[in-house]
Amino acid sequence: MAVLALSGCAESVSPADKGGGGSTEGPIKIGAVLDITGAGASLGVPERQTLEMLAKQVNAAGGINGRQITLLIEDNQSTEDGAARAASKLLQTEKVSILLGASRTGPSLAMRPIAEQAKIPMISLAANEKIVHGSKWVFKSAQNDKVVIENIVDDMAAKGYHNIAIARDASGFGEGIPEMFTDVGKAAKINVVSVEKFAPDATLFTAQMVNVRKAKPDAVVIWGIPPAASLAQVAYRQLGIKAPVYQSHGIGNQVFLDTAGASANGLLASLGRMLVADQLPANDPQNKVVTQFIKDYKAAYGQSPSTFAGHAYDGFTIAVNALKQAGTDPNKLRDAIEGVSNWPGISGVFTMTPEDHSGLTKDALVMVTVDNGKWKLVPAAG
Amino acid sequence: MSDLLQLVFSGLAQGAVYGLIALGFVAIFAVREIVNLAQGEYAALAGLSAISAVTAGVPLLPAVVLVVPMVVMVAVLIERLCIAPIRKMTPLLSIILTLGISTALKAIMLLIWGPQARGLPAFPGRDIVLAGVSIRSQELWILGISAVVGAAVVWAYEHTLLGKAMRACAEQPVAARLVGISPRMATMIAFGVAGFVGAVAGLVGSPIYFSSWDYGLGLGLKGFVAATLGGLVSLRVALFGGLLLGVLENLVAGYIDTGYRDAVAFLVLLLVLLVRPQGLVLKASAARV
Repeated sequence: MAVLALSGCAESVSPADKGGGGSTEGPIKIGAVLDITGAGASLGVPERQTLEMLAKQVNAAGGINGRQITLLIEDNQSTEDGAARAASKLLQTEKVSILLGASRTGPSLAMRPIAEQAKIPMISLAANEKIVHGSKWVFKSAQNDKVVIENIVDDMAAKGYHNIAIARDASGFGEGIPEMFTDVGKAAKINVVSVEKFAPDATLFTAQMVNVRKAKPDAVVIWGIPPAASLAQVAYRQLGIKAPVYQSHGIGNQVFLDTAGASANGLLASLGRMLVADQLPANDPQNKVVTQFIKDYKAAYGQSPSTFAGHAYDGFTIAVNALKQAGTDPNKLRDAIEGVSNWPGISGVFTMTPEDHSGLTKDALVMVTVDNGKWKLVPAAG
Repeated sequence: MSDLLQLVFSGLAQGAVYGLIALGFVAIFAVREIVNLAQGEYAALAGLSAISAVTAGVPLLPAVVLVVPMVVMVAVLIERLCIAPIRKMTPLLSIILTLGISTALKAIMLLIWGPQARGLPAFPGRDIVLAGVSIRSQELWILGISAVVGAAVVWAYEHTLLGKAMRACAEQPVAARLVGISPRMATMIAFGVAGFVGAVAGLVGSPIYFSSWDYGLGLGLKGFVAATLGGLVSLRVALFGGLLLGVLENLVAGYIDTGYRDAVAFLVLLLVLLVRPQGLVLKASAARV
């Protein structure tokens, strides 16, 4: 395995040969690097399904200004080096016009410098703000962590919680989260009294939850993705911790509900509107796009899409719209993505600016709870 | 205090699963010097197969009972196809060979079941709280079933004629053959036993620790470390080594840092190999098992 990894890295292409299909004819290549196997599988699999479905739709409808899409999907095995390797391959060998991915923060961060060096736009489907911070070429379609934290902190402040404990994913997704809570929660006098970490592929959570219980917090935040987030939720309930539990936007899929089971009842999570689409008011700007996407996805795969499928929808659709408008010239394409304004997607209404390459505010999020295996919209607290 | 007990208890349950995997390593190595790195894959295969059966509507008990012989058959089949044809088997060759088998099994499981981790429904029973320690009924099932299976395997290897004959193959292969014991047959049975304990480990653990295509390698490595505590030849030490490792991991995770949990096993392995490569309890010349 190590040998393979090394030889893969050594396979670099001369810098003069900078990737990017500036050509104006033939199929348009869209590359995607997803966490299809490994710890991020519950994100990457629905994302792949979404991309394949949408590419088929666009091609069936005549493609982008008459040009068909060639979709190239690579599995990064949920690793940073896998993501870097896959991104290099797509950019340098395949010369894709735009790069989507990765599913999680760590691999996305590994792809960022490669896309920047190739000067090809990239749209990550992951959450952490670091992915796009200060970047010219990189955008993302998932809500910023900070926006999610603002939403959770608002809810905590309204309910009068002050001391919170955090159990976070030890990989890139959870990196810097406690610091952000401290920062965002300062005004509401919210203190982080205990921080526990878990590996994304961990299976035993007693140790973390014992320490959380010992800290006697007013509320607990579990920040991870399933199955780890589900196992943490189960361990939390098992230890009989009474404090309310908040989960992140990392749990927005059926896998979480299936694996957490009854222990998920009553949790609070800050999530996009898609999961509670059936409970949205009819005049909600996202209503139409979300309802259509759920219908298409169910028809194609026989199950409801997850929020991650939604991130893939947003990333892909933003890319396609920009390609329609600007063609495949990397600079024009980049400008077109940065120009997205007031566009209703699955995760929220996007408005990109040169300073904000993620395009979503906390209005994109709602508080959701779980009631007997179903997502339920919670009216805003306070 | 209840925190300490909580950590120890949930560590014991996890450790029992390691112990069963360790038993599988020793069950083979005590008969023939083969290190079977595919040991953890039996657990993953058993868990995933049982989940499929349950999803298809088979009740839990028949699903579990059906899966065990199936995994035993897979283990024996692998031995027949990949181990038996090799004339001059060395430990190094066996490691390379079984690593290949492990990779192939993982790829097949990924193709069949896809990448997502899932868990079996918990076995019947109610969770209890005892002296401030929250105990899941599944953890009691793990400990109980591991104890019964562990004792049965130890008894079979130490007290039955077949077990003694199998161990004789390891100590004196030529003499064993002269008195009519077939080393080929013994190896095949040993793989069957390894498949059996691996399947049990995968099934009892699945409701808590989940099963996925890539879960076997990590589990196998932990089991291997536990087995080295007994010099790869002591069944009893392998079982207790598993328990010890499980508890140690949980204590390190609870009191030092969860990030070090997976390092514990390999620190233990380094220590054992540096200080007592023959295992914790045996003298270098002591009898196997």
